[in-house]
Amino acid sequence: MKAIRRAGLLPSLGMLIAVFAINAWLQPDLLTRGSLSSNIATFAPTILVSAAQAIIVLSGELDLSVGAGVSMLNCALATLPELAGWGIWPSAAATLGIALMAGATNGVLVAYLRLPSLIVTFATSAIWFGVALIFRPQPGGSVSESVGDFYAGSLGGVPIALILILLAIGAWSALQRYPLGRQILAVGSNPIAAFHAGIDVRWVKLRGYCIAWCLVYLSSLAISAQTLSGDARLGLPYTLTSIAAVVIGGISLAGGRGSVWGAAFGAITLGLIANVIYFAGIPSIYQEFFKGVVICVALSFTFIVGRRRTA
Amino acid sequence: MTESIRTAMLLLGLCAVLMIAGNFVTPGFLSFSQIGTQLQISAFLGLFALCQTFVLIVGGEGIDLSVGATGSLGGIVGAALLQGHDSAVLPIALLMALAGGAVGAVNGLGIALFGVPPLVMTLAVASIVNGALIIFESAVQPAIAASPFLVQLAGRATLGVPNIFLLWVVVGLAAVWFLSATSWGRKIIGTGANPQVALLSGTHVTLVKVLVYALSGLVAALSGFCLIGYVGAAFLGLGDAYVLSSIVVAVIGGTSLAGGRGSYIGVAAAAVLITVLTSLLTTMQIGEAGRQIVFGCILIGFLLLNRRFERR
Repeated sequence: MKAIRRAGLLPSLGMLIAVFAINAWLQPDLLTRGSLSSNIATFAPTILVSAAQAIIVLSGELDLSVGAGVSMLNCALATLPELAGWGIWPSAAATLGIALMAGATNGVLVAYLRLPSLIVTFATSAIWFGVALIFRPQPGGSVSESVGDFYAGSLGGVPIALILILLAIGAWSALQRYPLGRQILAVGSNPIAAFHAGIDVRWVKLRGYCIAWCLVYLSSLAISAQTLSGDARLGLPYTLTSIAAVVIGGISLAGGRGSVWGAAFGAITLGLIANVIYFAGIPSIYQEFFKGVVICVALSFTFIVGRRRTA
Repeated sequence: MTESIRTAMLLLGLCAVLMIAGNFVTPGFLSFSQIGTQLQISAFLGLFALCQTFVLIVGGEGIDLSVGATGSLGGIVGAALLQGHDSAVLPIALLMALAGGAVGAVNGLGIALFGVPPLVMTLAVASIVNGALIIFESAVQPAIAASPFLVQLAGRATLGVPNIFLLWVVVGLAAVWFLSATSWGRKIIGTGANPQVALLSGTHVTLVKVLVYALSGLVAALSGFCLIGYVGAAFLGLGDAYVLSSIVVAVIGGTSLAGGRGSYIGVAAAAVLITVLTSLLTTMQIGEAGRQIVFGCILIGFLLLNRRFERR
């Protein structure tokens, strides 16, 4: 409990529990195994891409290209098998290579060339989208069905999607015990102090981007396993969703403060809101509005309540 | 001032090179009517970029991601009230300006009073405004057509010069004058350059910020209102395309992301340049994929170029 409070997770966790309770009340079979695991499979792409955004935000930057990145990786996965005649494993490995290259490109532009991340990742987002369109001018292609079956399955009673999420964010938490994990937070919280403490700020930021893009890659795997095809426009909305999830998760956009778990909670909250609107019989036209309201409620938690505490 | 004119000349020079190159690729690219169309499209981009210029200058990581939603608001609600007639264009325009100003003021209050980062605040407000517009569209099913006057204003030309371009020139000159020659303009720049100093020298920093965001909302709503005259009808997501492109234009035009520095002259030139670049890439028929990649690469090139200039 203490650790949760220290990480500033209370507001986002509280909101998650509240939305979950409303959802469970409206949809009595939510608490069954099948329903829970299908929900987690649906939310996994958003959770993973939000965690990626969270890592970049914690390092004091931003990435507007994660959505187009998800598209690019999804199209690569769906096209490489027929294009190069590769099996699913070589294709997946090559796609991971593309993800790391994209992350490194963003990292070099932001950290080494010191371009503002807001604008430069908007520029790279256009490039990733263009590459996605080269792979897949029209939606189509195919991802091996075995991937879909594997993703929908479970291991020892735990859904694969959940294992994927726990492994990814767990790895990030474990990284906190090593210098790099702490250096990313230090660089995000005060780059000048970090520099004077002997940290190579640029190198840390670059590696932060690469780690985040591993999560973007996992997110695209999860999406591809669900749609089993490639679509260059599929990932685009994830950019803004990931930022919204990061904000709801109580992570400071100024960098250095917050927890990746918060972003995961934020992403689940956003997903559950869609459920609530569906099961409450509210027309889907209200969804966007409620999303905005929830973000504002989260904001007032973090900024008004948080302020009073420090004052 | 001289520096911003240099930036503008450089951007317009690049623009001329692009247009001549474009004429080789697609004969007719330099024709009078084609240039008119370019200026028409630039005008809207430039007006939305005006919003970003002001909020960027006022500083504190200023940015307005709600210009698209506010623009859609001006267009959709404006068209709903117009019912396709001209009879009440001016009062409705005034009402839209007020509505946009109110949305902007909410942004400003959250940012200046409660210390919410502009990126987050304007994103949340955009989400709510867009959500409310979706509800409005489906619940009321309002009229969407533009009125004849708006079509005349935004879509037609006088003596070969597009009307909306003339309007943009007037608004742009007013903005340049406001920023450089009035005390309020200097207060905005001062607030962006150093809020502490501005506060100690008697500027009501909170008020300045709220007013700047209100101004941004006002301009965005009116631009969206005019936009339906150009497009012909209002639709959901009318202003969405301008959200990120307006920021890009403001930054290429020499506005500093750190605040306190920038002039609308450079931004206006950047709006024309980006429009010409986009349409050149369109006419070259290299396909959407190539277009996106070239656009991204050129944008990065500009950012690198800008940084080199700033260092000097």
